[in-house]
Amino acid sequence: MAAEAVAVEVAAATASAAGLKAVGAGLAVGLAGVGSGLGEMGIGAAAMGAVAENKDMFGLALLFTVLPETIVIFGLVVALLLMFQ
Amino acid sequence: MFQPKPMSKLLIVASKQQLEPVITELYRMNIFHIDDFVDKGDEQWEGFKIGMPLKGADTISSSLVKIRSIASAFGIGSDQLNDVAKAKVQALKQSIEKDLPVIADEVEQLLSQRSKLEASIKEYEQKIEALRPFTDAPFPMELLTGYDSISCIAGTVKSKPVLSVSHEIWEKSLKGGLFITVAVRNEDLAAVERSLLDLQLQKVTIPAETGSASALIADYEQKIAGVHKEIEQISAKMTEIRDKHHYFLMSSEELLTADVEQAEAPLRFATTDLAFAVVGWVPTEQVTKVYETLDRVCAGKVYTTELEIEDYNEGPPVEYNNPDFSHPTELFMDIYSRPKYTEVDPTLLMSIVYPIMFGLILGDVGYGLILLAMSFGLRSMVKGSEAGNQLMNVLRNCSISSIIFGVIFSEFFGFSLPWAPLWFSRHIPIGATAEGAHHASAIPQLLVVSIWIGILHITLGRIWGALNASRMEHGHHKSLKMFANIGWILVMWGIIVLIWSKFPIILMPDLSKMPELAGGLNVATIAGAVMLVVGLACIARENALDLMEVPTIISHVLSYTRLIAVGLSSVAIALVTNFIAIGLIINPQLANLTPVGVVLILVGVVVFLFGHALNTALGILGGGLHPLRLHYVEFFTKFYRGGGKKYNPFGMIRKLTEQN
Repeated sequence: MAAEAVAVEVAAATASAAGLKAVGAGLAVGLAGVGSGLGEMGIGAAAMGAVAENKDMFGLALLFTVLPETIVIFGLVVALLLMFQ
Repeated sequence: MFQPKPMSKLLIVASKQQLEPVITELYRMNIFHIDDFVDKGDEQWEGFKIGMPLKGADTISSSLVKIRSIASAFGIGSDQLNDVAKAKVQALKQSIEKDLPVIADEVEQLLSQRSKLEASIKEYEQKIEALRPFTDAPFPMELLTGYDSISCIAGTVKSKPVLSVSHEIWEKSLKGGLFITVAVRNEDLAAVERSLLDLQLQKVTIPAETGSASALIADYEQKIAGVHKEIEQISAKMTEIRDKHHYFLMSSEELLTADVEQAEAPLRFATTDLAFAVVGWVPTEQVTKVYETLDRVCAGKVYTTELEIEDYNEGPPVEYNNPDFSHPTELFMDIYSRPKYTEVDPTLLMSIVYPIMFGLILGDVGYGLILLAMSFGLRSMVKGSEAGNQLMNVLRNCSISSIIFGVIFSEFFGFSLPWAPLWFSRHIPIGATAEGAHHASAIPQLLVVSIWIGILHITLGRIWGALNASRMEHGHHKSLKMFANIGWILVMWGIIVLIWSKFPIILMPDLSKMPELAGGLNVATIAGAVMLVVGLACIARENALDLMEVPTIISHVLSYTRLIAVGLSSVAIALVTNFIAIGLIINPQLANLTPVGVVLILVGVVVFLFGHALNTALGILGGGLHPLRLHYVEFFTKFYRGGGKKYNPFGMIRKLTEQN
């Protein structure tokens, strides 16, 4: 009986550890995504304006717009490491 | 390679009699990039003025304007003409004189007729709108106007009016109110209007027409239909003219554009009363050709000489000098900025690395084949646009790389191919079914590989940064800049060696077992620390504020992990699509087939197609933009300056006319 109870407990503990890992991975990507979204919001709007004024700005505007994207990539990498390491 | 085409600066001087032959010959050669003469009062150009256009420039321009206006009315361009014979210049000139005015008159007439007809349609439509409220009225329209002692008011009100004076009223209920027509004596008009205004009267003008409103509307609608028919006839006539003269119009447009450009060329030259001079750039390998040709056409009465280049950073225009397969990538360079003449041109490297990065992100045989088909299928849509063709070529190269990496990763629309991944596996076990779980995924290893790519890419960027500094800077500043770039390399590698000396990392050298020296620090730790300090000193010598940027070393290197991270997200979407469509919808139904099951299987197929279409679109965006960003942000910021002038030779590539 006791051995069975321990086995159930261990299984529950592993399961909840895996669950917490998944929650952590989700939070990492989700929050990082919100962050880069907020960052890109202002830049994107301004970049659109600049491109509308002068088409040659496109390259530079694209560059500025994607700058905050690194944050979400870091989130994604952390999530991947959490899930698969 | 890694350098633009070498350019030479030429000065051409001759007497005014040689002006025309020189211009014609330069235009024909199409290699001379003219530096426009600007009258700034320079000592060396004292006495020179900007030239006047050649004779006949204004007549040619006015014919050209005519042709272009006809072409824009027809919406035609030379792009739609392919594989046609080239027109003979002499014959074309004659027909421009003879036929062009006739065609222009005809088109102008048709256009003005059409716009008149279109205006009359507008007018009829307005009349119909004005009559519309009166459609159900039991009286003809002429009864509402033309009285001496009675006035009519028409309009919408909120509710039914109660009038104390004698009146005649007709009302029709509308959404949210009433439409009324009231007839009152002239002397009561003001009072009635006031009481109606209390009911928020919105007046409409009563159209002065004869007959019932609905009959009138029907009549006008018929008229509009008639006018439409006439417009159609005119359009058919215009199409006929367009098809008949398309080639003539476009070839004469080309001929006249060339003539105008030549006739107006003296505006870019420096001239005196008797002579002219022009400065420009020619690819060095073609200099002798210019010498010889000008000498021949002017029978020796022209002086051409090569000038010394004073400032390489500002002067020469930039023409790419790359092998054929790199040409498409020049598009990405131009979007960012064309390289300066003296700096390293990274196009060749980018044309190799960019598809590799794309393949790492979207390494899937299925998607690769779709993109390959797209790069050929969409070609007809971008016909005539150079940038569009370049983009399609880039897509083609990327899709080939995608297929190669798909074979390596053993992926086909998220399914596993019959072989195990030849390199590290990207297959992700998902849910209980765990498609492809038989190959253990090697994601940490892949992430380390991507970091290696970042380290090497950035190191190369810094080396080129030092190279650019050595070429473009002068004096003390030159050595400062070069050492700063070396400093950045030392700091980056110092940090890396420090990390290696403390933590063993897969696929990277393990320096933590090196012999210890003192205080628990091993050789590698000390070496790393020394590199770091020396590097920081080098950076600080150039500009101490740059030290603030040191943390970007880590973020820029880690940024390269996106190659794997974004790739894995596309793998995950593919796996999830397959799992939902096949695992959850199609397979259970196939096991026990029912009529409802057949419908559900079709739903499953739709989910499958939709999911993979979405993933293809995301793959193009992710696979295309992220490597571009890695180049623009992480790589170019280390060395690239850009801002070079485009080499734009005086002349044109004739498509529809013969060279005269």
